[in-house]
Amino acid sequence: MRTRTCTSRRGLPTTRHSRPLAVALAAALTLAGCGGSVTSGTGAGDDSQARADQKVYDRLGALTGPDRRAQLAKEAKKEGQLTLYTSFTDDVASDVVAAFTKQFGVKVNLFRGNSETVLQRVLQETGAGKTGNDIVETNFAEMATIAQKGLTAPFKGPVLDNVQPTGKFDGWTATRFNIMLPAWNTKVIKPGQEPKSWEDLADPRFKGKLTMELSDDDWYENVTKYWLSHGKTQAQVDALWKQIAGNAKVVKGHTVMGQLLSAGQTGADAMNYSYLVQQDIDKGAPVAFRGADHVAHTPAFPRPNGVGMMRDARHPAAAILFYDWLLSDGQKVLVKDGLTPSTKVPGDHSLDGVTLVPYDVKGLVADEKTWSDKYDALLRGVQQVKGGS
Amino acid sequence: MTSTTGQDSVPFAYSAGRFARDVRRLLSARTLIVAGCVLVVGFLAIVPLFYLVRDTFTGPGGFTLGAFSRAYGGHSQAGEMLGNSLAFAVGAALLALVIGTVLAYLQVRTDTPFKGLFFAASLVPLIIPAILYAAAWIFLADPDIGLLNAALKPIFGHGVLNVFSLWGMMWVQGLHLAPIAFLLMVAAFRAMDPSLEESGLMSGASRATVLRRITVPLMRPALVSAVLLMFVQSLESFEVPGLLGLQNGTYVFTSRIYFVLRSYPIDYGSAGAYAIGLLVIAAVGVLVSGWLSRNTKGFQTISGKGFRPRPIELGRARPWVGSVIILYFAVTVILPLGVLVYTSLLGFYTAPSKAAIRSMSLANYREALHLPLAATALKNSIVLGIAAATVVMFITAVVSWVIVRTKAPGRRALDLLAFSPIVIPGLVLGLALSFVYLRSPLPIYGTLWILLLSYSTRYLPYGMRYATSAMTQLSAELEESAHVCGASWWQTFRRVLLPLTSGGIVAGWIYILVVSFRELSSTILLYSPGKEVLSVLIWEQFEDGKFTLLAAIGVLMVAILVVLVLVAYRIGAGVGLKSDD
Repeated sequence: MRTRTCTSRRGLPTTRHSRPLAVALAAALTLAGCGGSVTSGTGAGDDSQARADQKVYDRLGALTGPDRRAQLAKEAKKEGQLTLYTSFTDDVASDVVAAFTKQFGVKVNLFRGNSETVLQRVLQETGAGKTGNDIVETNFAEMATIAQKGLTAPFKGPVLDNVQPTGKFDGWTATRFNIMLPAWNTKVIKPGQEPKSWEDLADPRFKGKLTMELSDDDWYENVTKYWLSHGKTQAQVDALWKQIAGNAKVVKGHTVMGQLLSAGQTGADAMNYSYLVQQDIDKGAPVAFRGADHVAHTPAFPRPNGVGMMRDARHPAAAILFYDWLLSDGQKVLVKDGLTPSTKVPGDHSLDGVTLVPYDVKGLVADEKTWSDKYDALLRGVQQVKGGS
Repeated sequence: MTSTTGQDSVPFAYSAGRFARDVRRLLSARTLIVAGCVLVVGFLAIVPLFYLVRDTFTGPGGFTLGAFSRAYGGHSQAGEMLGNSLAFAVGAALLALVIGTVLAYLQVRTDTPFKGLFFAASLVPLIIPAILYAAAWIFLADPDIGLLNAALKPIFGHGVLNVFSLWGMMWVQGLHLAPIAFLLMVAAFRAMDPSLEESGLMSGASRATVLRRITVPLMRPALVSAVLLMFVQSLESFEVPGLLGLQNGTYVFTSRIYFVLRSYPIDYGSAGAYAIGLLVIAAVGVLVSGWLSRNTKGFQTISGKGFRPRPIELGRARPWVGSVIILYFAVTVILPLGVLVYTSLLGFYTAPSKAAIRSMSLANYREALHLPLAATALKNSIVLGIAAATVVMFITAVVSWVIVRTKAPGRRALDLLAFSPIVIPGLVLGLALSFVYLRSPLPIYGTLWILLLSYSTRYLPYGMRYATSAMTQLSAELEESAHVCGASWWQTFRRVLLPLTSGGIVAGWIYILVVSFRELSSTILLYSPGKEVLSVLIWEQFEDGKFTLLAAIGVLMVAILVVLVLVAYRIGAGVGLKSDD
């Protein structure tokens, strides 16, 4: 602020601050402008660091046989800690962290956020060359983005054999599935009147009783593709969606939807995740996603959510160990908390009476933006745009 | 905003003596503090603004307006959205203004009964997170299951109240905002010399005329500040439109911003285009408010003349006023808080019934107190809240002095700049800060400091309104006498300005303390393991669907903040203007 002042005041405590003010603003602007793009997140980290991790990853990844786990545990213990970014809900995250730490004595630093936040944080930090985490565990679309950018290291290990083929991806592996099904309040929707197919949601009996969620574009894409591949024309599909949207109110957040459904404020959720509905059932709320016959008649889409280990991890051995564990012993923790695991786990009843149909990973990775725009337009009652798909 | 000094600077020849004097003055406390504060405000506001503007106007091929056509063109229903947004924001701001001003007047200027209730009525809605406040109103005024509707059914028939309407949105938002107006207006009324009204009455004017011709005009800067704040805050709030508006298809700006920010790749351009739309509206608001508050001297009610605010006797109206206050207290505090307390005792929300009452327990409170992060989060929130409130109010007191008292060119731009963070979406702010501090040599990423920076930025506009409206009421002659008596600028600032504006400063401080407890949108990106705050904890329970646990945390938070604020009021009452009550 060593600018030559040009004002002359005598006596009174008021003054002209033209220069200092201007200089201050200019200085602030310079400080603010000294960065690059806030939105460009590339995966380039510190190269030497990355190579060192790669060596650890290669060496430990090649381990086989019965002492693999013991060797990993030893090296992880030496590293002492692990930083995990995840969109697990709070109770699941606490259980996972506690079980892992108890088993291996490795401290876990936990960052929880919704999937978009986890993605943004990872992109911001890797973009600045300061990878903060060793492991990331979040939703399908965000994991796909992180892996596509080459931010994760490939994982090898016998635990992958347990994972269903629909759960294996380049650079990440599914740990759990979100099962997409309609849900209803059993006091508001009389037995036998509940939705038994996605088409049912268009039925006039749900007029004003249905709720749709603001951000469910991946569900919208899957149902659309499912209908198109099961003999419906585009015009029929469009007509169905129009009726469904006409029956429905819009709510933000699957949790809020579940609360309003439990309270009987809404009659049915066009789609909610079965584990959320199950949590409410366990609390005694009069809600269901299976009929009185214990069968969910609507075909369910399992959305894979998963785990990846960072290429520039500071604790690579702990990262491999956690990955390995989450796909084996850790799966039991997920089942205990009511999630649907990506491997076969004894005692898992989350899929009883549920018919799964494939979740369209490819279509969504390629074109999510288009679908989210179309879903947004549908909810706002905008005339459907012809063309596209 | 005219300065009160009569002199203008004269051109002069530069001599060595003058140079030395200028250098001395340049290094004086005043210059350093003022320059420092201006610099901080500029820095806080420009960082996010810079990224917002850049991301909005640049594309792969350089400068572009594509973001605006994506945001407002095609099927975006921009006109309808703008209409909804404005109607909602104007309605909510006016409702809040009327409620807040009437309450403030009663509290400060009359001998109304139940003064203790004002305190709770003015704070509880502020403390309850908007998402819980809106949810409480759903359970009260839903056409089908609302408790109030059930109670009114025998008289008015089915579903007489419908919270899922534009009116319902204005109602809930207005009640939630009323504390902002109340806090601002209480400070303004405290600082007003009642002798002006008394002269009016002596000269034969009726009470209504005095109110219309004297009281309201004198309150104009504070009224304008309050409307502006609440209007813009309604425009950028998401909870009420999200919970109450979407159900019947009432889309507003923020629903759109939310939508473009949650899909990947994030269309920062569109989000920025919406934010800039809000910024333009806010800028018009700042200019209009500046114009409405022109002729500053007319509002200066704290002058060299001594005065003691003395309450007006309500006389026969007293019981009536008392019952209105009880009613207001019941509607804004007892009902929503009652729903929260009721919900906090249940396993899942259900309408009151014998079965529900039988199932009640304190399990949620036990769980809330045993959350692993509860202690850390509470400590961090208190530290951050107090620090952010103190930093912002100190800086804005200085900067508002520059804006109100000096003729510095660019002061209007400074005012606008300090107001701009109010329209920056929290996520954009979080991204901008993490971008800068991941690359800055200053090691604050991953610490509480970055959260303090973010909170200071977010609440700068609020601090500015509180400080500016207080400063506007202060006549320059008090500073002048201090100066004449040989006080330095710093002494004058500390011993004269701060105490006399303390009503506004304390009100702003309390407001920031309270709202910083619920800041989430930028926090969620910037907090680090071990640096959790209460809002993160609340959000986690919300995401997990633990509404009943959330209600318990909400109730506990109300209790903690009421104690904190009570302490602040006690301390605040020790300085500044004394009144007879």
